[in-house]
Amino acid sequence: MNLVLPSHAIRSLPIQQVATHSAELKSILFEQTFAAEPGQFVMLWIPGLDEKPFSVSDVRDGKIEITAKAVGPFSRALMECRPGDRLGLRGPFGRGFRPRGRGLVVGGGMGIAPLRYLVHRIERDRASFRVALGARTAAEMMFIGDFSKCGAEFATDDGTLGKQCLVTGLAARLCVEEAFDVIYGCGPEPMLVALKKLADERGIDCQLSLERHMKCGIGVCGSCCVDGSGICICREGPVLDRAELDRVADFGRPHRDATGARKGLVPEPPTTN
Amino acid sequence: MNPLAVQIAGVALESPLVLASGVLGTTSASLRRVAQAGAGAVTTKSCSLAARAGHPAPCVLPWPGGLINAVGLSNPGVEGELEELAEYRRTCATPLFVSIFAGSADEFGQLARRVAAAKPDLIEVNVSCPNVESEFGTPFAADPEACGRVVREVKENAGGVPVSIKLSAQCASLARMAVVCRQNGADAVTAINTVGPGMWIDVGTGRPALSNKVGGVSGPAILPIAVRAVYEIRKAVDLPIIGTGGVSSADDALQLIMAGADAVGVGSGVYAGGVELFGEINRGLAAFLKERGFDSLAQVKGLAEREGRP
Repeated sequence: MNLVLPSHAIRSLPIQQVATHSAELKSILFEQTFAAEPGQFVMLWIPGLDEKPFSVSDVRDGKIEITAKAVGPFSRALMECRPGDRLGLRGPFGRGFRPRGRGLVVGGGMGIAPLRYLVHRIERDRASFRVALGARTAAEMMFIGDFSKCGAEFATDDGTLGKQCLVTGLAARLCVEEAFDVIYGCGPEPMLVALKKLADERGIDCQLSLERHMKCGIGVCGSCCVDGSGICICREGPVLDRAELDRVADFGRPHRDATGARKGLVPEPPTTN
Repeated sequence: MNPLAVQIAGVALESPLVLASGVLGTTSASLRRVAQAGAGAVTTKSCSLAARAGHPAPCVLPWPGGLINAVGLSNPGVEGELEELAEYRRTCATPLFVSIFAGSADEFGQLARRVAAAKPDLIEVNVSCPNVESEFGTPFAADPEACGRVVREVKENAGGVPVSIKLSAQCASLARMAVVCRQNGADAVTAINTVGPGMWIDVGTGRPALSNKVGGVSGPAILPIAVRAVYEIRKAVDLPIIGTGGVSSADDALQLIMAGADAVGVGSGVYAGGVELFGEINRGLAAFLKERGFDSLAQVKGLAEREGRP
């Protein structure tokens, strides 16, 4: 498979539109210059600052959209961007979701962003699905309007929207009430670990989007290789299925920083698969 | 007999393909992955005494001729590196080459001593990284005397582990550099490192796209430079050569071997071909030997300098 695409080369594009969800949560839209599947990501460059991976939160009407929340210097700078400002955009990178059968879509926090695009795709394909979303508080829940239309259930830590519980609690209940072929998930890794366990228990597949420190986006620099199998998240992920997740030795454990050192706790010895 | 088997400084490889330093070799798992994909040996990303985060992104960019990078030698430092090496050794038998980088001959010696304790099959000395000049000055590989000192320090501290010096195509005379390496005790040379540095400007903003502004150029664009470099070194010394630069097919690898390389580094080719590239090139090499009636790669090595019709 030849993965060299002209759109992998860095190229700045003017921002077409900024959609403000709140002072700390915005969507940035560019003219769509390349195709991207739900779950795939782009590398976004703020000249003079840094370049970071962002999952695509929608592709619609000839525009490609990413959604960011102000958490660090990069995303705070992104909040200041206006239409017409030029940012570097390259992609699409990685392997996204592969929708099939009846799906349970589960998202937490910023992980909800790519799930909106996934749900639009599933709706387009007229497949059946349910959605469960979690956030700390109602103000941090993304795209409430969009997701309410498709009957999503919500969970918040403080009970300001939906049930006061973890989103994985909603997912577990939905799995008891209804039959699913696959669980799609994106969000904090402890949530993904719980979803993997749920999929294992129910004997169904899952497709979960993982996050690791990335530099190149093209499977070359090795920064995002997981322990155990060495699967390269930027290229073979970020969305891994159940069998692939079994080969991620650092799933739910400390992973690596910009130097390549393991952060925090010493993990258990790796498997040899 | 395995027709692809080669020897580098006494190290037996089942394939001439060596994972080049700087691509994937960040962790034991990524090294093992490439070994399982068909590499005859794997080289780690260069490690230094202290941890380095490297340059901010963008630091690796594809362009139509290959890649340009200024990763900036990010690595967890020798302590973290030794853990990865030990883990690799426990789980994989494929020969392990460890690349080291330092700012002075003395530091290179200290690093070689630390790394040698892990008993790698070979230590590769990175004296030619083109994307840290603002921090470390002109690479040692541009100056025969400075390079010679580094080679001596590393050899004195390597405890018998074979040492290969990674050269740059950009020096006054590669032949002279290779002779200096051999005179100071090098067991092999790796040629070449990335070329440049080069620069890539985003036309929309008018800004250099790499955060470091400049970076090493690699990929298909530099294959002819690597082939010439290997040819020049082969004429000058009888040291084993790991020919590296722009390989993405069996024909590319054969060019380097015909120029005189004993083994062939594969790095940036992984972008277009994935880790599967190692298996593909191995199959291509075996098919070539069979079709042309050769029993081993040794019969192909250095063909470019031989008399008569092959």
